[in-house]
Amino acid sequence: MSRSNWLKTTAMTAALAGAVFASGTAAAENFKVGYAGGFTGYLAPYDQPSLKGVQLAIDEINAAGGIGGTMPIELIVKDTRSDTAQAAVVAQELVDDGVSVMIVSCDVDPAVASGVIAQAAEIPSVSSCASTPTLPAAVGPYMFSNYTADNLQATVLASYAREQGLENAYVLLSRDTPYTEKLPEYFAEVFAAMGGNVVAVGEFTIGQQDFSAEVTNIKGLDPQPDVIMTAAYEPDFPAFLKQLRAAGITAQVLGSDGIDSPTTFGLGDVAEGVVFSNAGFPSEGSPLAAYEAAYEAKYGEPNDTVFTATGYDAMLVIAAAVEAAGSTDGAAIRDAWDNLENVQVATGTMTYKGQNRVPVRVVALNQVSGGERVHVGDFTPDPSQIPAP
Amino acid sequence: MSHIDGQTGKSGRGTAGFVASGTLAGSALLFVPIAIFSLVAWQTFGSAPQGTVTHFLIITIAVLGFSVFTGNTGVVSFGHAAFMGLAAHITGVLTMPVAQKGVFLPDLPPWLAGVEMNFLLAGLIALVIVTVIAFVIGIPIARLGGASASIATLGLLIIVYGVIVGARDYTRGSQALIGVPKTVDIPVALIFLGVAILLARIFRDSLPGLELRAMREDEPAARAIGVNVQGRRLLAWTVSAAIAALAGVLLAHFLGVYSPKEFYFQITFAILVMLIAGGMTSVSGAVVGAVLVTVLIDVLRGVEENINANWFSEPTVFGLTDIGLSLAILAVLFWRRDGLFGFWEIEELWGGWRRWFGLRAPSEVAPSQASRIDQGGALKIENVAKAFGGLRAVDGANLELRPGEIVGLIGPNGSGKTTLLGCISGALDLTAGKVVLDGTDISDLPAHRIARRRVGRTFQNIRLFAHLTVIENVKAALAASGTRLAPGAMDARARALLNELGIASYAPRRAGTLAYGLQRRLEIARALALEPRYLLLDEPAAGMNETESDELLGILGHLRESRGLGLLVVDHDLRLIMRLCDRVVVLNRGQVIAEGVPGEVQANPDVIEAYLGKRRAATRTTSAPPLGD
Repeated sequence: MSRSNWLKTTAMTAALAGAVFASGTAAAENFKVGYAGGFTGYLAPYDQPSLKGVQLAIDEINAAGGIGGTMPIELIVKDTRSDTAQAAVVAQELVDDGVSVMIVSCDVDPAVASGVIAQAAEIPSVSSCASTPTLPAAVGPYMFSNYTADNLQATVLASYAREQGLENAYVLLSRDTPYTEKLPEYFAEVFAAMGGNVVAVGEFTIGQQDFSAEVTNIKGLDPQPDVIMTAAYEPDFPAFLKQLRAAGITAQVLGSDGIDSPTTFGLGDVAEGVVFSNAGFPSEGSPLAAYEAAYEAKYGEPNDTVFTATGYDAMLVIAAAVEAAGSTDGAAIRDAWDNLENVQVATGTMTYKGQNRVPVRVVALNQVSGGERVHVGDFTPDPSQIPAP
Repeated sequence: MSHIDGQTGKSGRGTAGFVASGTLAGSALLFVPIAIFSLVAWQTFGSAPQGTVTHFLIITIAVLGFSVFTGNTGVVSFGHAAFMGLAAHITGVLTMPVAQKGVFLPDLPPWLAGVEMNFLLAGLIALVIVTVIAFVIGIPIARLGGASASIATLGLLIIVYGVIVGARDYTRGSQALIGVPKTVDIPVALIFLGVAILLARIFRDSLPGLELRAMREDEPAARAIGVNVQGRRLLAWTVSAAIAALAGVLLAHFLGVYSPKEFYFQITFAILVMLIAGGMTSVSGAVVGAVLVTVLIDVLRGVEENINANWFSEPTVFGLTDIGLSLAILAVLFWRRDGLFGFWEIEELWGGWRRWFGLRAPSEVAPSQASRIDQGGALKIENVAKAFGGLRAVDGANLELRPGEIVGLIGPNGSGKTTLLGCISGALDLTAGKVVLDGTDISDLPAHRIARRRVGRTFQNIRLFAHLTVIENVKAALAASGTRLAPGAMDARARALLNELGIASYAPRRAGTLAYGLQRRLEIARALALEPRYLLLDEPAAGMNETESDELLGILGHLRESRGLGLLVVDHDLRLIMRLCDRVVVLNRGQVIAEGVPGEVQANPDVIEAYLGKRRAATRTTSAPPLGD
């Protein structure tokens, strides 16, 4: 090791040590937002993109002087390592750090673990991308959802199917995760409520690969289903779809945002015509297209997942709630948040008023056509049609 | 004269007060520092670090649960998180407030829907249920050893996870149980950690624990000293499952919200990492591994957060914790392959005080191990045959050994000597014929049952319990043979046996570190712990020089004189055989070709032919020089 290298190393080590013992000294007027996310571990594919979106939103807000033009946002990020016990510890640390709002993980267990800590401290919290609609009710009045709820997506899919004149549905679900179980169940509920006929409900195990039993079962149904809905994703969805089409079943297939991945578009003919929901489509001139451009400008690479946009949305909603409250008091922010209507965000608009803290937001429908994504339309369902969680 | 005759079986064995001073000292050395730290944390820390401490205490209990099975049996378990999950879900459904149940578990049967217990009662019920389930599941798993047992535990984890997810009415399926009372704080977790440490140490140091550790080192040798391997494994499995279930109950009431995936691979590997870092095979290793990993994670986490806050606010850097932890574990394993504690317990390293006590020879105790055996009965081998596929390694051999007699068994390489010993000791099943001990046919008994009928053996390739101390090797055999003594008397008895073989001064050494000749002697001492009437020695002088084999000759002769036991000695050292034995039996191609007093056998043309080949034999018979000179 050369002398200059040695000096550099020493300086780095000293600086690191200093960093360890230095305490954060932030200006008093900053608005502190804490993010207790799973940035390593199984939640990293969701919480890391969400964080990028949150940081982009904060950059834009702070560039304009902060919330309301006067209150810059300071973000404190802590990694839960996707561990439920750590999620509670980290949330408590954020409370101790004096955050006014907390963003928590994408999965229900750690989100609840963090949320109950924030609830006890009367600090509003929001899960960046958990889609289980029961989450806010499970924690209490200070907990909010952000991401498109399972029952919301299901409602849009069911309405679409009915509008297309589809009468007989087959629903395939897996009880392995709440997402793969509840979303198809909500679909079946709405589809039936709109006058459709749910012919049968099939079950699979995540990763089972062989769907011959289910496909045979579908072939034997009377009446034959003209729409098949599932919330399965890779590797189950491609396997199921191939075996379904190989058996000569041509019914319309509906999927959810779990299949919004390059794999689906690379499946070729079998995927042709599949319709799936997600949180937004960046059509030309839309806010989402503008967001995508801003994202690429900041990070130097195109956005590759919708979770960055929904993270961005969450931060905009927080800013809107604080601005509406005109205060940094937890209870005031909570009340203002609960009454937000038509907040303009990257993916469209979001409304919390009258929704028990689970927002109504735009659901986009997309169709696979020639290996490309074709925008079917953006839908904001009538709240009365959304099934109770 | 306090041995129990092997034939009375295992009833009422090995329960005499086994909380030795080392057990208590070792438990205290682990528990007291943790307790002091935790109580200070409880009084002075904020609630966030208190959460970290409580979680650490609970996870340490879980690590102890894994360790009681893995450490004592040597079988790595991937399955104990299943018991944690079962216990957590049972206590969860029993303690959840009735109102919450209406929301989250609407399909509960009425008798459960109205139940709302306090966590101690619910935890106890969960513990009992899970322990019973573990016992039943353990019956087949205890039959397995090594990798197949590990795979079975992995299967168990997956199956139990599936069952918990599948029992949706009781568990909400894959969704989280929410609203379980959060009643566990530092004092509660600390009390149970104390219980768990003490339980784990008592088990490890108990006679069944010693037998298990002997089995972990060498299963055939353990069977040969009378260890009921399956029974002991099942015991360890059940005790460890109970400790894991305790951790599951505490974790449930610490988290308050959890789903089945909380008790799946992630926690299993987190716990195994702690166990590997600290040392798989000792209780101290389990506890210190948990401390080490927890401290590392928290320090690294602090570093990572400060780097993010003060250095690289964007892009935020994550993963330092995982990377740092991985490097630290690699470093530990690089320098200490068996983990920080290796095979030691903390008090064994603590200033060596225990060794000092250990070395104080028990001058006042002269146990009556050298009881002479009545001279009746005999060990008879009748037409015994053993085939390995088409090869008949032993082919209708007959042999008789009486107490007080030394019989030499010789023969060229591959003549079936060791196979015959295996057949007698129960290590091998007979293809034909029978082995009769004092008029009883023992041909079909498993090795450990034959050992308890006081037939001891040593092995051609030394099979000591290498990571146990010299004295523990003997104590394991005393324990397995059903000797029921207080810890002090047990030590004295073991020491007397070592003394008889002239190796008492090596008592606290690891058996694997002894010189070759001493290891041979220890193997004999261990076999003598069974109070054998018959002792089968497979090449006791192999690898010894002339002085060593002379000393051995003296020891064996003394054993015959003082104890009157029957010795069957296999050896290639013909000088030793000829000087030691009353009779010599010669085996060739699995059959007895000659038998008689040494002089006769030495001159037998068939024997010379078997050893030297036909032509050489023909030229040598005329002059008949003694073999083996």
